[in-house]
This record gives sequence, structure tokens and C-alpha cells, in this order.
Amino acid sequence: MDRRRVLKTGIAAATTLFAPAYLHAQSNKKLSILTWNIADQEALFKEEFADFKAANPGVEIEWLDKKGPDLPAFYQTQLVAGTAPDIVDLQGALWVEWAANGAILDLTPYFQADPEFAKLFNADYLSSWVYDKKNYLVPFYVSKTLLFYNKLMFNVAGLSAPPANFDDILKFSQAMAKDEKTGFITLNFDWLYWPLLKMNGIELLTPEMKKPAFNTPEAAAVVDRLAKATEAGAINKIAWTGRWVEPNGAFSSGTVGMMHAHSAAYFFVKGQGRWINRDSLGAVEMPGDWSTPTNHGFAISKSSKNPELAFALIKHMTSNKWATKFAGIRRVLTANIAADKALLAAVQEEDPLAHAVLQTQLAHTDKMTGNWPLPNDAQIKDAFWPELQNALLGRKDAKTALADAERAVARVLRRS
Amino acid sequence: MRVSGLALRKSTRRAILIWAFLAPSLLIFLLYRILPLAWNVVLSFQAWSPMKPAVFIGLDNYQEMLFDDDVFWQALWNTFGIIASAPIGIAIALGLALLVDSNIRGRDVYRTIIFLSYPLMTVAVAIIWRWMFDERVGLINYVARAAHLVDKPIPFLNSFTWALPSVIAANIWQMLGFYMVIILSGLQTIPGNLYEAAGIDGANAFHRFIRITVPLLRPSLFLCFVIGMLNSVTSFDLVYVMTGGGPGRATEILVTYIYKLGFNQTRFDYAAAVTVTFFILLLGITFLANRLSGGNAGAVERD
Repeated sequence: MDRRRVLKTGIAAATTLFAPAYLHAQSNKKLSILTWNIADQEALFKEEFADFKAANPGVEIEWLDKKGPDLPAFYQTQLVAGTAPDIVDLQGALWVEWAANGAILDLTPYFQADPEFAKLFNADYLSSWVYDKKNYLVPFYVSKTLLFYNKLMFNVAGLSAPPANFDDILKFSQAMAKDEKTGFITLNFDWLYWPLLKMNGIELLTPEMKKPAFNTPEAAAVVDRLAKATEAGAINKIAWTGRWVEPNGAFSSGTVGMMHAHSAAYFFVKGQGRWINRDSLGAVEMPGDWSTPTNHGFAISKSSKNPELAFALIKHMTSNKWATKFAGIRRVLTANIAADKALLAAVQEEDPLAHAVLQTQLAHTDKMTGNWPLPNDAQIKDAFWPELQNALLGRKDAKTALADAERAVARVLRRS
Repeated sequence: MRVSGLALRKSTRRAILIWAFLAPSLLIFLLYRILPLAWNVVLSFQAWSPMKPAVFIGLDNYQEMLFDDDVFWQALWNTFGIIASAPIGIAIALGLALLVDSNIRGRDVYRTIIFLSYPLMTVAVAIIWRWMFDERVGLINYVARAAHLVDKPIPFLNSFTWALPSVIAANIWQMLGFYMVIILSGLQTIPGNLYEAAGIDGANAFHRFIRITVPLLRPSLFLCFVIGMLNSVTSFDLVYVMTGGGPGRATEILVTYIYKLGFNQTRFDYAAAVTVTFFILLLGITFLANRLSGGNAGAVERD
């Protein structure tokens, strides 16, 4: 053997030996799947994969899980290296950017080839993953915002029912604000605060999504009222500074009257707030029934060598059987109609409060907002939010902040 | 002068040995510092994302950064603010070092306590101080209110005015132990007879400090400043955990902005331009600090 061949063989052997295990799964009949911050479900995934492998002999599955902020960076580095996992679990609006730039596969033909599969899912949740008339994701688990309210604080303030409109939110908040107590808080990551603006008829962009549409006198008036309510202590400042741990923590302490958060917050606050029981916590839709989703879905990398097999695994994992099991263990909705029905039936007896929370997730799914299919969503968010914060925390007046936000958002749109 | 063959061979062997010892470090330095930096420079002149091929765009990224990006300027000023705080920390550490260098009782205990902050993980420091500064349950607000110093809690990390100073305070606290150890070792190298001679000449404590201590501590102070400055401007984890760069952009520094551009906005090309600017800025400040310290910091003096 000549020296060059020895060298090549050596390099190939070293690469095979030392490459990450999941990269081996790029060859035929092998699949790699990357999930997002759900390592606690390892036992269930192993069961699901074993079942899939039994039905598809010779298939190997490599599973990898990454924590919240790590997944996008990790996936992008793998994409550059040409070793992107076959299946990736995506949350928020990240998928739009990746879909628009050709990183993930258009799943429309797969849905068309199997119309019965599409019928398994809530149509509104499924359509929230459509960009440019193409569907890119299959629902894994879903969640949208709702209004939690502290009935004890409502009683003390003489309030008998949850707010019916924006005015009520501010009025009720002020009524409950006293000393350490504040009336309202919201989660603010992604666009989770947007229902507050949407219920006042404020739009982020024009219908063709080419220009900002939020810089209006009406929007300035709404932002100004929110800022004044914050200054007066009616709205907790953490609403505009914390992300999700801090607002959830504040509400759990029993000193905040209302919290606008996604359904996953229920289990967080219930675990922390001793005051929480069926009689003390209320869960309803936000006024106007507006909500912002924060869903997880499965996408297939365009670079996958086995897209059909990858889609088969996704179908397997989101099937009635496994979605039901997953929903039961994790206490989340999956947008799989049968699985969600089973979950609701199961929790109705054992945790009526959880039942009330989860029910809101399947109601008014046609009124979801803040989930615009924008390829540059992250950049727009980053241009808009700091200016809104400036107004809400009193650094700029609402009119100036919105004008500055408009300039920043317009710049992003122009650059795109 | 004619160099003998034997001597030449000896010097060659010595050079090979030196390079052999240096090679692993240099290779790592090349792979993890020089090459990424060079690629960053190239990237800053391109439009590129992991999902798109690179296209040369000349100075577009720099033009946007300098003329069209308010956030860059805000992050730059905040970075300067943090750099400017390094001397405050050094001054405090100098005071503490003088204190624990004196013959006070239990000085070893004090030294240990002051140094303890340095080996702590920055993320842990950030979490500790986030709770300390908390508006509702934070220790600082609790004490301030209990002592009737304030009527309403101060929203340290939620306020545009207080957020940056709060982050700076946490940063200084973490670096204090390091500064103190460096200065203390510098103090202990100053010959005692200099103070004795100055005392005989009638110099008071203040004059001894200004004329002897400070000049002879200059290398230690320079080291503290450079490391403190580099630590401050790269204190990504501290800012990210304490405030995430907010509220608004109140605590955004260049390094957090670069991260957000790259990994939140997928703008690696533009992030590269900001990184190159950041690198030039650091080079400039280090050069300036070296000049101010006499221009030969780090040099080995031989008799």
C-alpha cells in the first residue's frame, strides 16, 4: 500500500471513530433527531423509537436534546458543517427563517400524499406553520397564552368577574394595587405581550407585511395608558423586564392580581404558589379571546438523506398512540385531536383547574396573534421590543418610542 | 567574528528546542485565535448566513454599523462605561490591600474573605447579585427600607438609570479579590528600607504612599487594569444573566450585542464587523495602557 493510501485510510478510520455518534446516523436507514429542552422524556422517546424500529427493521435512530438557547446555535453550526440532524424540534418563529432560507423541507407534498394524517391535528395549529402557502412543521406540542387571575385578590378588591376588555384590565389592576401588590403582569418573550395591543386593534405590519403599521395615535394612546398604569404600580414592572421565570415567580407569590402567560405557566406557578387551588385561581381567555401561541413542531432538514423515513418517524411520534402517551406524561396539549381529548378527559377528575387551563388552549384557536410568518422575525422583535420597553418604563414618551420603533423596524424590513 | 561550527550547531539545537516547546501553544493559538479572527475579518466584508452562500459586499456592514445602527453606539458607550469602572475597582482593591498588608489582627482571614469572590463562577455571581438587587425581595432594598433610607424599593435592574451601575458594582465585586492579590504581592516586593529612609527624611504617610508605593506598584496596577478591562468588556455571562442587556438597551455591551446579532438574529456577517471593531478597540486601549505604564510592561529586565 502506498503512503497516500495509508494516510487516507487512517484519516477515514479516525473520522469514523471520533465523529459524534449522531453523525454516524446520517447514512442510509439511519435517522438523527434533535429535540429542544425535553431531555426529561428520554424514557418515552426510547420506547417510541423501539416501537418504530420494530416496525422498520434495520433503522437506527440517534436522539439528541439541546437546552433552550443552545439549539439554534447548534443546529446552525451543524448546517454549515453539512451534518444537520434529519429531524429537528423547533419553537417560536425560528422555523420561518429557516424555511425561507431553504434549511428545512416543505412538508406539503407529504401531507397531500396522506390526507388522513393531516386530519389528526387541530387545523388552526397546523396552519400556524404555513409560510408561502407551504407547510413546514408537524405539531409536537402546543401552548398559547391565557389570563390567570388571583381570585383572593379579586375578592379583596370587590371584583367578581375577570376583565372583559382592555379598560377592565387597567381598572381592575389599579383596584388591586396596594403597597407590595400589583394588579397585572405578562410574560414578554417572543411576542407574548401582543394580545394587549391586538385587543385594541393595533397591527404590527401592513397586510402585505412590507411596512410597519403600529405607529398610530391609537397605539400611542394604548402604550401611554400601559406606561401610566406601570408607573402607578397597577402593572408590575417585571412585566416589561423579566422574561418568564420572574413574572411567573411574582404571580406565584400571591401579590399580583392577574397574569397573562401561556398554559405551561400553570404547572410552574402551581408548584410554587401555596395559595393556589381551585377556589383561588381562575383561568380564562384574554379579553377579545386573543392569544399568542408558543408551539413546538417537527421539521425535516432539507439535507436529510432519508426524508421519507424521517417523515415516517414524525408520523409515528405524533400518532394518536404516542401523542396521547406524551400528552398524559407531560400534561401538555399536542394539537393531535384524539390525544388532547384523552388528556382533557383524564385531568377533568384529577385536576379540574388544569382542565380549565387546558380547555382555553383549544378554544378560539382562530384568534391567535403574534405568530406572523416573518423570515426576519427575530430582527423585527429586536428592533421593536427595546423601544416599547423605553415607553412602558417611562424613558421615552409613547409617541417618540413608537416613532423610533417604526424607524428601526422599517430599517430591518428594508434590509431584508 | 567567526562563529565555530560547534557553537552554531548548539545554537540551532537550542532554537529547535525552544520552538518545539512553543509549537503546541502556538498551534492552539493559531487554530483558536488567529484563524477565527482572520475569518472574522473576511466575513465582515461579506453577506453570509449558515443558510446562504457568502457574497462580497465591501464596507456595507461597517457603513450600517457606523451610520445606521443606534444600538451599536449605545453598546459601545456602555462598554466604555464598564471599562472606565476598572480603575474604581482597582482603587478599592488598593485600599483593601494596604489594609490587609498592615499588621491588623486576623489579616489572613480578611485576605481570604476578599479573595473568595474571584474564584466564583461568573454565572453564580450574576445570580447572587440579581437577587441582591431584586426590587421586592432583594437584600439591598430590604436593608435600605429597614434603615428608612428609602420609602420605595429601588428597581436596580429594572431601571434605565440604575441597571448599568448595578452590573458594574457586581463586576467590581467579583474582580476585587483578584486585584487585591496582585496589588498585595506588589506591595510585598517594595523594600522596607525605602520607607525607613523616607521616614528619616521626614516624609509623612501620604507622601510615602505617593512617592514610593504608587510608583513601585505601577506594573501591578497596569496588570490589574489590563486584566480588569478585558474581563469587564468580555463579561458576557454577567450581563446576560443579570439583565440580558436590558431594560431597553441600558446594559447592552458590545459582547452581548455581538452574541445577539449572531445567534438570535442569524446575522453572523454583521456580528463579524462589530467583532472586528471591538477587537481594534481593545488593541487600542491595551496599547494606550501600556504606554501609560511606561511602555515596557511585560518585558523581562535582565542585569
